[in-house]
Amino acid sequence: MTMGRLRILIVGELSRLNKYNVFSISILVAIIWSIVLFFIDDTMLSSLLPFVLLVDASLMSVMYIGSVTYFEKIESTISTLLVTPITNSELVLSKVIANTIHNLFSSSLIIIAFYFIRDIELNFLLLFFGLILTTMFFTIAGLSLSYYQKDFTSMLMTIMALSFIFLIPTILYMINILTWEGWEYILLINPIQAAEQLIGGGFKGAIYNYQYYIGLIYMGLGSVLLYLFHTLPKFQTYAIRQSGV
Amino acid sequence: MKPLFEVKDVFYNYPKQDEDVINGISFKIYKGEIFGFLGPSGAGKSTTQKIMIKILEDFRGDIYYDGKSITEFHNEFYEDIGVSFEMPIHFSKMTALENIEFFKQLYQNNADTEALMKRVGLWKDRDKMVGEYSKGMKIRLNIVRALLNSPKMLFLDEPTNGLDPTNAMILKDMIREFKEAGGTVFITSHIMSDIEQLCDRVAFIVHGEIKEIDSPRNLKIKYGKREVTLEYQENNQTQTKHFALENIGQNETFIKLLKEKNIETIHTGETTLEDIFIKVTGESLHDNG
Repeated sequence: MTMGRLRILIVGELSRLNKYNVFSISILVAIIWSIVLFFIDDTMLSSLLPFVLLVDASLMSVMYIGSVTYFEKIESTISTLLVTPITNSELVLSKVIANTIHNLFSSSLIIIAFYFIRDIELNFLLLFFGLILTTMFFTIAGLSLSYYQKDFTSMLMTIMALSFIFLIPTILYMINILTWEGWEYILLINPIQAAEQLIGGGFKGAIYNYQYYIGLIYMGLGSVLLYLFHTLPKFQTYAIRQSGV
Repeated sequence: MKPLFEVKDVFYNYPKQDEDVINGISFKIYKGEIFGFLGPSGAGKSTTQKIMIKILEDFRGDIYYDGKSITEFHNEFYEDIGVSFEMPIHFSKMTALENIEFFKQLYQNNADTEALMKRVGLWKDRDKMVGEYSKGMKIRLNIVRALLNSPKMLFLDEPTNGLDPTNAMILKDMIREFKEAGGTVFITSHIMSDIEQLCDRVAFIVHGEIKEIDSPRNLKIKYGKREVTLEYQENNQTQTKHFALENIGQNETFIKLLKEKNIETIHTGETTLEDIFIKVTGESLHDNG
């Protein structure tokens, strides 16, 4: 892997996110979230802002990387990239890094707006650390997921199904509807719950208990393992299929 | 002479398929040669190309590039080759120049892309989105993309498919110029005129098997009819007679007709490469689409 080529690919990915209007959509989503959050009272803001950032870093990351692979599928551009000197790891990593940068941009817009308008107290270092790890994990997972989707509609359907399975229990637990003690342990296998713990660590009053550290390991180690044992090895098969085989 | 590419007894079957789609093909491509793969759709032309350019890797047999097995090459292999797929492949929401500039950065060697784009008549449209290009323009951009790293060898899959005669001619001239500059070319096509006009040697491929390899000229000599056809007037009607070319000067009937009849046309029998393909393989080039 060469850093020069990786940089070229990341810049190319970011440029295409802009050209294909994915950037505009993410900014629009950030503005809509900001407007919604602006009009709610302070007590709700403290629980809703982490939730918005969680959705942005997790499900929206999957959605954005899904749209990128959808454009690549309809234009078969992967075929051309396969016959250049770039390696699969450079290709996959550039997508992960570019999508993380892109997603952090929209998350940053929301955070900056609220830092100045609503005077919230944040630990920026831990918050961005959590957002980066979460976005990377869900981008890698989204890439793997996109290998098996026929088109963007099927990708959306899958995201909806996964949201239902993973996001709803986390929300219900957050708002104290799931009160049974056992949920605390059951939800440890849920990546959204892990991400929620990690992002929540950047807010005032966060408790850095075992759940936070499990979230940290889940997102960090999970990203590495998913990348090494699924996203990267399955990329060649996926890319070949895109070239008409 | 040492071949640049050597394919030895190669078999291939797609995952989840029992039957081989490539059945023990062997051929050599020499440096500076234009080698054609002629066959109907589904014959295995594109699959062979994908194996040779290392997109499909689980083949059986041996393939050597410049004396070294292609399995030993990593991505540096792509510094040496240029590939043009049958379908135009570009980022449609980027301009032609942005597409070319992006791909150019990925290689160590770069050709003069401005000259290439001028050569294919796309320079004036360089700032247009590729999505606004016609199919012909996209195919021409494909060729620029394949040549932008100054490759030693070009792989062209159905290069003139979808091009009008003028642009097809420009492209064929570019392929000849590439060869004259020392380049080697592998072309797959089902278009007879491409193969006939461009290739030094051609392989006939059907059902993943090579049935014949030779130069178009030798194939015509080997399989073509060598005859003279005479059309002449007799009793106010046009008559036609065929004569074998062998010892035509001693054929008294032929000489008598020339002397005594009003000859309307006279021409040697020109068997097309397509006729020879059908004769050798028992298949038509257009049967399967």
